[in-house]
Amino acid sequence: MGRRGRNQQLNKAGTIQTLYEKLKESKDFVVYHHTEPTPCVISYLKTMADPKILNESILPGLKKADLHSLEKIKEAIPVENISITDQAEKIKEKVLQGYVIIQMTENDNQVLLIPASTKVGRKVSIPEVEFSVVGPKEAFVECLDKNMNLIRKRVPLPELTVKELSIGKLTNTRVAVVYIDGIANEININTVMQRLKEIDYDQMIDSSYITQMIADNSNSPFPQLLDTERPDRMTEALVEGKIAILVDGSPHALTCPTTIVEFFSASDDYFLPWHLATAFRLIRLFAVLFSVLSTSLYVAILTHHHEMIPEELLATIISSRADIPFPPILEVIILELSIELLREAGARLPTKIGQTIGIVGGIVIGTAAVDAGLTSNVLLIIVALSALASFTTPVYQISNTIRLVRFPFIIGAQLWGLIGVSMVMAFFIGHLIKLQSIGTPFFAPIYPLRITDLKDAFIRLPFNKQTQRPIQTRPLKSERLQPSDANKKRDIDE
Amino acid sequence: MNKKRQSKIDLHVPENLLVTPFFVFFLIHAMQLGVGILSFETYIARDAGYDAWISLLIAGAAIHLLLWIVYNILQSSKGDIVSIHEETFGKYIGGFLSIIFSLYVLLLTLTVLRTFIEVIQTWVFPQLNVWFFTLALLLLIYYLVAGGFRMITGLCLISVLLALPLLWLKFFPIQAGDINNVFPIIDHTLVELLSSAKTSILGFLGFELLLVFYPFIKNPEKSKKWAHYGVFFTTIIYVISAITAFIYFSEKQLDQVNWATISLWKIVEFPFVERFEFIGIALWLYVVIPNICFSLWAASRIPKRLFNIRQTYMVGGYCLILYVATIMLDERQQIKELNDIANMIGFYVLMYIPVLFLFKKARDKVRDTN
Repeated sequence: MGRRGRNQQLNKAGTIQTLYEKLKESKDFVVYHHTEPTPCVISYLKTMADPKILNESILPGLKKADLHSLEKIKEAIPVENISITDQAEKIKEKVLQGYVIIQMTENDNQVLLIPASTKVGRKVSIPEVEFSVVGPKEAFVECLDKNMNLIRKRVPLPELTVKELSIGKLTNTRVAVVYIDGIANEININTVMQRLKEIDYDQMIDSSYITQMIADNSNSPFPQLLDTERPDRMTEALVEGKIAILVDGSPHALTCPTTIVEFFSASDDYFLPWHLATAFRLIRLFAVLFSVLSTSLYVAILTHHHEMIPEELLATIISSRADIPFPPILEVIILELSIELLREAGARLPTKIGQTIGIVGGIVIGTAAVDAGLTSNVLLIIVALSALASFTTPVYQISNTIRLVRFPFIIGAQLWGLIGVSMVMAFFIGHLIKLQSIGTPFFAPIYPLRITDLKDAFIRLPFNKQTQRPIQTRPLKSERLQPSDANKKRDIDE
Repeated sequence: MNKKRQSKIDLHVPENLLVTPFFVFFLIHAMQLGVGILSFETYIARDAGYDAWISLLIAGAAIHLLLWIVYNILQSSKGDIVSIHEETFGKYIGGFLSIIFSLYVLLLTLTVLRTFIEVIQTWVFPQLNVWFFTLALLLLIYYLVAGGFRMITGLCLISVLLALPLLWLKFFPIQAGDINNVFPIIDHTLVELLSSAKTSILGFLGFELLLVFYPFIKNPEKSKKWAHYGVFFTTIIYVISAITAFIYFSEKQLDQVNWATISLWKIVEFPFVERFEFIGIALWLYVVIPNICFSLWAASRIPKRLFNIRQTYMVGGYCLILYVATIMLDERQQIKELNDIANMIGFYVLMYIPVLFLFKKARDKVRDTN
């Protein structure tokens, strides 16, 4: 007991000095002895501190008169939030953020901490992953404070609460949990906070780390937190009672709880009139189904059920497949893999070369493969269309899932035709029913069936019909608007 | 008294696993609709000819009555079949009866599983590799049953949503058929109608699983309405299917047809697809899977309640039994016999429900006077 206590004391006493020793090994750590008229020691990290504050506020303050104590210096320097401390832990944290330290003598434990940090980062720019033609054109950036600014200016409410944690043993990354107090359910908030606190890992580079670490089922191919780079989309989520997670250094914020249908709704859906938005959303859902199922149905029907094809259509398919040396399954796998290859290459290459690859891969290789008789042009159309269809998903993460999910279906189709496809589908439906997002069902509003939530799932009804916030988030106040008499239909000539 | 409290504790189902009364509609309906509907038309028409749709209505009414009795039993005891048996017949006889019930439900599972594989063998893949296909199907079923009662409810819902559009296909045979086949109405005796009703009542088997899943319903009193709607919906679907088959086939033709509903899918034709029965059978998987999962879940829950065995082990064990039995029954005649036996036992189970009701009433009276 006694020994342990002494150990702790030793640590505490030694830390400022050991901290200095460590820092002095780096070239960008500056220790500067100031003499006239105030004798003191100024030290800071040159790469993190703002030279403007140092030159315009701190040094002139020290030059004014002979200041004998840290309190006097504190009064003399016109910078906010200056503090005096002797806690080594705090000093370490602050100096690494770019604070300037002032001591009376070099071995003094009492130090003055002056906030002078500066951050390098890019400016707020237009969204590139979730682009929309109409609507706001601001996207999150890597700086947490800038991102918070983007949210706060959209939701000027005292109820907008921000809880901050620091995650990552080595990176000490700031992670903010944002929600509207009084609408977001505490159970959800507690679940999120609890799971974030339990994260024990060296680094926290991006918000996608969090998606994987706090997911209810980390073995699922489906992302269980929605990521977005659009502050407007995030605002939409916050006012519905959802919780947002922002990570310093990541331009993608997470919102939760979420459902599978939310991954297929774009922000455009809310900027267009409701019937147009509904039509486009349905097209998108159809595209997803097409993208997942088309090639497996091709394999199933051509391998096992050719009776199903009507005579007229059969002629077309047979003439395109007549010279192909491979069975449908091999043909499909070759083409699917080459499309994946193109995508992977396109994603890794710089934009300008990427376009070239698209032309070379898509047009040259495609045409050549058909001409060489390696693949039928019917299949080429199907594969190209299904690749195109998978790009219609507004959230990038789910399009990766769709890419992958296709392959079990193709295997099922090869084994037992349409019944095999059905079996794989049953597996995925079962998996989706089982899946949860922060403890709430992921497959809602289909199961559990929630009629009110269906108003904004496969279709989007007009805003005045959306009187309730979604049940999915279990909001504390569910009423969004009072259904008014103005909605009542007028009779003729009234 | 002490024992009774013990069983009450076992019965407790965590709040987050309960389902709302509304879903009882899907549970009852999905369990009643199985592989039977693919072939029932031929059998019910054997006794009552083309008046058999009246028999279906009679059978439906009888099921409503039985459902009412089941609810009566359950509401007075607030338990499931295991606790009811224990209260009524004591620990040993009651336990024995519960095991019998569990085995009966397992038999239902086997019947549905084997008959569906038979359908696939007959209509899609005559050379089907049964041991491999059954293995894959049972692995899938094990995964789904392991998801628990919530998962099964979800599957039942999906099954109704996916299978309901198949009803539109009835339009094709109705268009091609002759409505005069059904007339004259009622040219059979009451005895003939009733004996056909006895055959058709087998299509409604499955609602008795309510005796097992009743504790999983939130506010179970309110579910009564939905259960009756479920039975009513099943009746309507049976009647529509029967009348469609009667309109399309003549009486003598129908007698030769083994799978009337599937034969009717065969004539469906779109510009881009023919031979719709392949799609029909593939979609029918979504009717069959909830059916198998639900009955397997119910069959394995009874031993859990009785002996406190982990349900996962029971599901695994039962899957193994199903697997071996499915592979061993490889001749058409055997499968027909399996169906006959299951139907016969199912009929006795239906008869047993009123008997249980009377025993329970008598027992309650004795307890009250004491």
